[in-house]
Amino acid sequence: MVTNIPQPGLPLLQVQALSLSFRRQEQVVDRVSFNLAAGRTLGLVGASGAGKSSIARAILHLIKPDAGNILFHGKNISSMDPGQLKEARRRIQIVFQEPSASLSPRRTVAQTLLEPLRHFAIGDSDYRQDRIRQTLQTVGLDADVLQRYPHQFSSGQQQRIAIARALVTNPDLLIADEAVSALDVSVQARILQLIQTLQTEHGIAFLFISHDLAVIRQVADEVAVMYRGQLLEHSPADRFFSRPAHPYSKALLAFASFDSSSQPPIGWLPAGHEPAGGSSACVYAGMCADTMPVCERLEPEYYKSQHKQQPHCVKCHLYNEEHANETWTEVN
Amino acid sequence: MSVAALNVKDLSVWFETESGRLQIVDNISFSIKAGETTGLVGESGCGKTMTAFAILGLLRASGARVESAAIEIGGRDISTLSAGQRRRVLGRDIAMVFQQPGAALDPVFTIGRQIAAVHRRHVGDGRSNTRRAMLDSLEQVGFGKPEKIAAAYPHELSGGMAQLAMIAMATVCKPAVLIADEPSTALDSGTRAVILQQIKRLQADHGTAILLISHDLSVIRQSCQNVMVMYCGRLLEVTDCQSLFSSPRHPYSAGLISCIPQISAVKPSGIITIPGRVPAPSALPPGCHFAPRCDRALSACVQSIPALETGNQRSNNSGVACFSPL
Repeated sequence: MVTNIPQPGLPLLQVQALSLSFRRQEQVVDRVSFNLAAGRTLGLVGASGAGKSSIARAILHLIKPDAGNILFHGKNISSMDPGQLKEARRRIQIVFQEPSASLSPRRTVAQTLLEPLRHFAIGDSDYRQDRIRQTLQTVGLDADVLQRYPHQFSSGQQQRIAIARALVTNPDLLIADEAVSALDVSVQARILQLIQTLQTEHGIAFLFISHDLAVIRQVADEVAVMYRGQLLEHSPADRFFSRPAHPYSKALLAFASFDSSSQPPIGWLPAGHEPAGGSSACVYAGMCADTMPVCERLEPEYYKSQHKQQPHCVKCHLYNEEHANETWTEVN
Repeated sequence: MSVAALNVKDLSVWFETESGRLQIVDNISFSIKAGETTGLVGESGCGKTMTAFAILGLLRASGARVESAAIEIGGRDISTLSAGQRRRVLGRDIAMVFQQPGAALDPVFTIGRQIAAVHRRHVGDGRSNTRRAMLDSLEQVGFGKPEKIAAAYPHELSGGMAQLAMIAMATVCKPAVLIADEPSTALDSGTRAVILQQIKRLQADHGTAILLISHDLSVIRQSCQNVMVMYCGRLLEVTDCQSLFSSPRHPYSAGLISCIPQISAVKPSGIITIPGRVPAPSALPPGCHFAPRCDRALSACVQSIPALETGNQRSNNSGVACFSPL
């Protein structure tokens, strides 16, 4: 009934020079590019307001890009006809941060899980009932929850229901937007366990958005770091956590480490404080511990290094050939 | 021995319902010295916030029953105060920072006006002094241009800035005790570090005693001298922060610590979890409430409640409520 035909060789999702702004004024996403292969998990990290959730919304075509393309299975989301867009949305599902806010309080679990199947006209009544039971089993809930309402569940169970609602249409890509941030560590651990099962047993690709690097570490194959709308580094996860390249990534890791007693640098203030430098500078120049004169003057290019056949990209002047001790090449 | 800044004795909170008594906080006692931070950690619904509200006397209109032998600030019992007397204490001697700054700030007044109102009510030494105190408190939490923030409305601030403004409001009268309920939970790691750093600085400057409530053990570890681990309204372990993380004694404390995701060079192959889940207050298991989830449970654990024995071998202030501790 529900079949997803994989296209070998083509990335599942391609984001190409994506730019987004609100009211054409505030640039929230600035020329962001990345690919996500089928079955892989990309951890998208950055401070609040860095543009992470806006990218998620653009992928679902909930907001329109100012520039750039989003390709799903090689097809541009912006130029899909309504039928194709609907099919794309069946295959791209999202789970939000606050489960109590993303489930309708007036619907039972059965109604909540049935709606996407109806909307996408998947299967007949018998198939739908089977699919709902099967999905509940996948997320670790018993079938006797079907007639209950969201308020009768704990937050961890509510998040399982939200995940079940996303899974019921059999997506290839699940966007998890801070999906475990609101949960207690013990509950968080069990949801992360579930996500690992979905990765290994169901081969679902994840765009896993979080500001918590420790959480990203548990689930991501690759890590992309955003700061003020720009993607500053994109790296294989093992490489990122052992050798982060961008000064911002290094700072993030230093604060995130559980054992760390490191303090934020002076001037590392909550979002809303404008860093120095004009639009032609590096976005991070005002906050960076390694700022060079060129950083205030010129926006850096992406520099790329190969690590176990996987590219590691970083947008920083430090990796210009003159400064680097490893081979980083400029990306055109 | 000096008087503790905050001393809570035998505090209980419960609701009377048709189906019986729902125990939310079950007979807890603790004290915090001036200049020290004690963390209260536990999963959602374990009674952390209810403890804070009960200390402040904010549960009167909620239908909750509160009982305590004493709640003392600097040796003065505030649990027996009338509503009017209490209003003179809240904000001046004891203040609270809430989890959601957006919900705790009034959207129709500027930040400066809201902070000044607290100072005017409790100190009231003239407009120019109040304004100076208001700007000082904003500057102390790290705002370089306090005038700019004072003139702003809450919606003009980011979450982190609004939380700093809340802290400025809570500390404008330099209270002896500050209760911070999940002050950094909704914030990203960089902003969280700033908030915790500013709370520490204020504490060093004024000798404030802080009760820091959080479900985030890394926040507790970074900020507290002492920690209390709460489960289903009871304190299961009370100890100094270092001992808790290096050698937790209660199996629940150990479980919570092992659930914390770690940043390791190699991707972890599995995730450690605590089996089962927190029981509802209407269905608390007999004996130790954690026993059904505990892999060290003995037959005694389901029969009687282990008492929190303090003053054991480790130090005067540590204790564990467990028949089979680690």
